[in-house]
Amino acid sequence: MTLPTIKALAISEQVTVVPRKRWFHHAKGRQAALINVALILGSVTMLVPFLWMVLTSLKSPAELAQFPPTFFPQEWMFSNYAATLDAAPFGLYFRNSFVIATTHTLITVVLGSMAGYALARIYFKGREAIFLAFIAMLMIPTYTKIVPQFLLVKFMPLFGGNDILGQGGSGWLDTWWALIIPGGLSASAIFLFRQFYLSLPKDLEEAARIDGLGEFRIFAQIYTPLIKPAIATVGLLTFQESWNNFLWPLLVTTSSDLRVIQVGLAVFQQLDNTQWQYLMAGTTMATVPMVVLFIFAQKYFIQGFTNAGIK
Amino acid sequence: MTTTERHPIRGAEAAAKQVSPSTAPKKRKRISTAEKKRRRAGWLMITPSVIHVGLWTLIPVIATFYLSFTDYGIFEAPKWIWFDNYVEMFNDAVFMQSIGNTVWYTFWTVPVSMAVAVVVAVLLNQGFKLQKFYRTAFFLPQVTATVAIAMVWLWIFNPQYGLLNAMLETLGIPGQAWLVDPQWALPAVILVGAWQGIGIKMLIYIAALQNIDESLYEAASLDGASSIRKFFSITVPMLKPATFFVFIISIIGAFQVFDQIYVLTDGGPANATTMMTYEVYRSAFQEFRMGMASAQSVVLFAFLLFVTLISRRVTKEED
Repeated sequence: MTLPTIKALAISEQVTVVPRKRWFHHAKGRQAALINVALILGSVTMLVPFLWMVLTSLKSPAELAQFPPTFFPQEWMFSNYAATLDAAPFGLYFRNSFVIATTHTLITVVLGSMAGYALARIYFKGREAIFLAFIAMLMIPTYTKIVPQFLLVKFMPLFGGNDILGQGGSGWLDTWWALIIPGGLSASAIFLFRQFYLSLPKDLEEAARIDGLGEFRIFAQIYTPLIKPAIATVGLLTFQESWNNFLWPLLVTTSSDLRVIQVGLAVFQQLDNTQWQYLMAGTTMATVPMVVLFIFAQKYFIQGFTNAGIK
Repeated sequence: MTTTERHPIRGAEAAAKQVSPSTAPKKRKRISTAEKKRRRAGWLMITPSVIHVGLWTLIPVIATFYLSFTDYGIFEAPKWIWFDNYVEMFNDAVFMQSIGNTVWYTFWTVPVSMAVAVVVAVLLNQGFKLQKFYRTAFFLPQVTATVAIAMVWLWIFNPQYGLLNAMLETLGIPGQAWLVDPQWALPAVILVGAWQGIGIKMLIYIAALQNIDESLYEAASLDGASSIRKFFSITVPMLKPATFFVFIISIIGAFQVFDQIYVLTDGGPANATTMMTYEVYRSAFQEFRMGMASAQSVVLFAFLLFVTLISRRVTKEED
């Protein structure tokens, strides 16, 4: 959710459920069949690269050197996966990506929901100014901040051998800090949370206040449980974006220990670009978690993507 | 959708204006201690976010503009050189080509994937049994990492053993060298971009279709209108706001294409697929010219700002 793309929430509610009209209400039998054929062809076109990825990962090098290629493997080489894990530490890359994506999600959900709640439901001096500033920050493209972000990391004072002025060492470069802190929160997550909190009724907080609950408890115990779907949505989008992120980890890490899976894939391809069965096995491993997550949590993803516009 | 909600920026502005009136202060009364406590809680809740966004977004943006006027190689202090970076950039054939490539990439990926997306969305909206499967299929490229997807396409485009050339061969069409051929590299990259971009656009269109009043179609059916007629006289006009929104976010997205370039072509061959983002990356992290990279990213920013402002103009005139 880095883009200047916040979709007002109005349309989000209706997105998930496409009403199940009976097909014959809208199309006569033959027409419906034709449309289905077109859709199946389209879906297959979308899925063929994924299928090809998996099939390639299960072929032998000799089979891959054939032209025209076979579609299904002549011999299913499941051992390719073990060999891939031997060829490059994909297990480690996988773990790194998982740790980072999980941490980003936790930070975003905790800090983003607090900020969104404060902006939506508490009046304090300077609130409007802060909100407008967040909105302006939403619209900044990644590439307009990436160079100074890198410099901030490099010159982080008192880290990585840097002195108090940030000179002399490498700062946060090639550390977990650089991977976790800068990408930990986004203005768009705050904006989405604010919209969700704004949609809740006011009577609850008044009743809670009369009962003598403090603001943090009203936030944590009364309102936040009501926006669980929103938390799932923002959380999943954050996780997905973090898992798929490439440029930032590429810039701030050099050692293999800190490599995330997307960078690991790119490095593997550059070092060893003829072993397609291994490369496709690695790619499959990098892709499967998102595919599974998407299939199981489709509802939240779809709601989130419709709100956030684009990844 | 009301008019204010159909555009990201305008939606945000509208949201800013509707700052919940219920919690706005009631004139200038003495503030009770309870109220003071609330305000303090509010500040406590927002402070971490303010610090984070300030440090990692606000300061970098300001710094980008400043650095764009400097000569800065990380190891010495930045040297103020006024517009030298900009002058050099616009005399640099490679950067100019990257602008051309970016515009060309956007010019093809955005309309193509929008056209496919709207057709698929309309068909899906009929509510078929397999609808969920179709939606997942079209959306899958959106949730998977661009790097991974590009890796698969790299293999598909392989001139010797690739699936694409094999398929063309069976149709009797000679294969191409695709990504290593200066003539075909950009079209190949565009194909990947268009393929990947369908999903999100389709979703927004589906959402918009849900909001079209069913009675319009019923009335048209009573008048004996054909499906095609209904599509062009009801669906297309009613989808106009959504189309506009999709158009803008797609352009903004397409201008920032990077990952697939990195994997597929590395900007080559002969700079045939280099993009503005890729030039920023090269200047900053291969040549360590931070000032130049900043200037290039300011130009990229200017393009996106221009698109956004134009879009606001157009919507305003329509209202």
